[in-house]
Amino acid sequence: MIKIFIKKEVNIYFRNLNYIFLPMIFFFLIISVFPLVLGPDKALLSKIIPGIIWITVILTTLLSSNNFFKDDYDNGIIETYLTCDISIELLLFIRILMCWLFTCFPIIFFIPLVSILFSMSFESTLTVFLTLIIGTPILISLGLFGSALTLGVAKNNILTPIIIVPFYIPVLIFSASAIESANSGLPYEMQIYILAALLALILPIMPYLLKYTLHISINS
Amino acid sequence: MDNIEVKVVLASSFIDSQFIFKDLSMHLKNRDILFVTGKNGCGKTTFIKSLCGIHRIESGSILFNKISIYKQNCDLKNNIVYIGHKNSLHNDLTVSENLKYLSEFDSSIYKKNLSQEICKLLDFFNLQKYKNYMVSKISEGNKKKVSLSRLFLTKKKIWLLDEPLSFLDDDTKNLLEELILRNRDFGGITIASTHTNFLHKIKDAIFLDMNT
Repeated sequence: MIKIFIKKEVNIYFRNLNYIFLPMIFFFLIISVFPLVLGPDKALLSKIIPGIIWITVILTTLLSSNNFFKDDYDNGIIETYLTCDISIELLLFIRILMCWLFTCFPIIFFIPLVSILFSMSFESTLTVFLTLIIGTPILISLGLFGSALTLGVAKNNILTPIIIVPFYIPVLIFSASAIESANSGLPYEMQIYILAALLALILPIMPYLLKYTLHISINS
Repeated sequence: MDNIEVKVVLASSFIDSQFIFKDLSMHLKNRDILFVTGKNGCGKTTFIKSLCGIHRIESGSILFNKISIYKQNCDLKNNIVYIGHKNSLHNDLTVSENLKYLSEFDSSIYKKNLSQEICKLLDFFNLQKYKNYMVSKISEGNKKKVSLSRLFLTKKKIWLLDEPLSFLDDDTKNLLEELILRNRDFGGITIASTHTNFLHKIKDAIFLDMNT
């Protein structure tokens, strides 16, 4: 069963390569706009680029996850999920992982390249990399929750970010704090542990929450 | 044959203080076939969705084997197949991939010979040549056929079909009738909403007119 769920997700992503490439292109476009606005001050850019990376990743996840359930909703697949006799929590968990793998992971993969372009220090790059690896699954999970919550609402493009961005704040606070500590040469393990704890809390709960939210959205 | 019964007692549902249906009651047992009829917008879809628990009724009760369908210990989901008027198909998967994927959602389908079973059902519905077509490339009628073909595989007893006849040609309507009759022979219950009359072989169906 797990194999078939994963195969289906992989097939859908590989048959719609825009799902993979558009977030990456968007990420690089936004990142490359900042030096144009702020000027070629290397010291300034290398100082603020971790924050810029995080903001851009948030925008990218918001855009990717906004309509995540929309096709399934339009095609009636969610109704099948809710009336079937198997546990769909597993399916939703796989969807969270696949969504992260195909939208966030390619961006994280290119962080070393971004760090070279903006002359980031090794410590700073490593911290950004770690915070993104742990933080982006949380962002994706929350994004999907927002997407599920606003399924029944017409023209929900702005509503979803308004609902979920406040939930992003703890992740942002601890990520920014970890990066700041790393830049100042201070230990940043505590912030990473807190982010990991948040991930460990959200990831197992989210499939159940998504199932419940989908039920409410369909019923409304 | 397992005894199954579906009972609706004074069920009402409304949106924005307007009734979709009011004080509806019915009682179905093994081998019953119910056609829910009525004009567009009279609440057929909402009623079918209420029966499978997607839509929650505001008052009254829906019982499956004497247990409310909203209770944890009700095993309605192990016994129903719901096919809505949307086709529940992924546009980016082929016909056979969709059928394999949908089969995973039905624990009554025996997975060991699934590929052979899918071949048989594709023959039955005359869909063999579309086997490797993307669902987005086939016609609405064929999409409907693929969606309904789940009925060929399932061993579940209660079929809830919302507008199963839309987009279907006469031959496929006959095939669907055959499947419904086969389900009845196995002691199953079929509940289908429709606003067209396609009953040629099914003579003893019960009708529920939602207009009244």
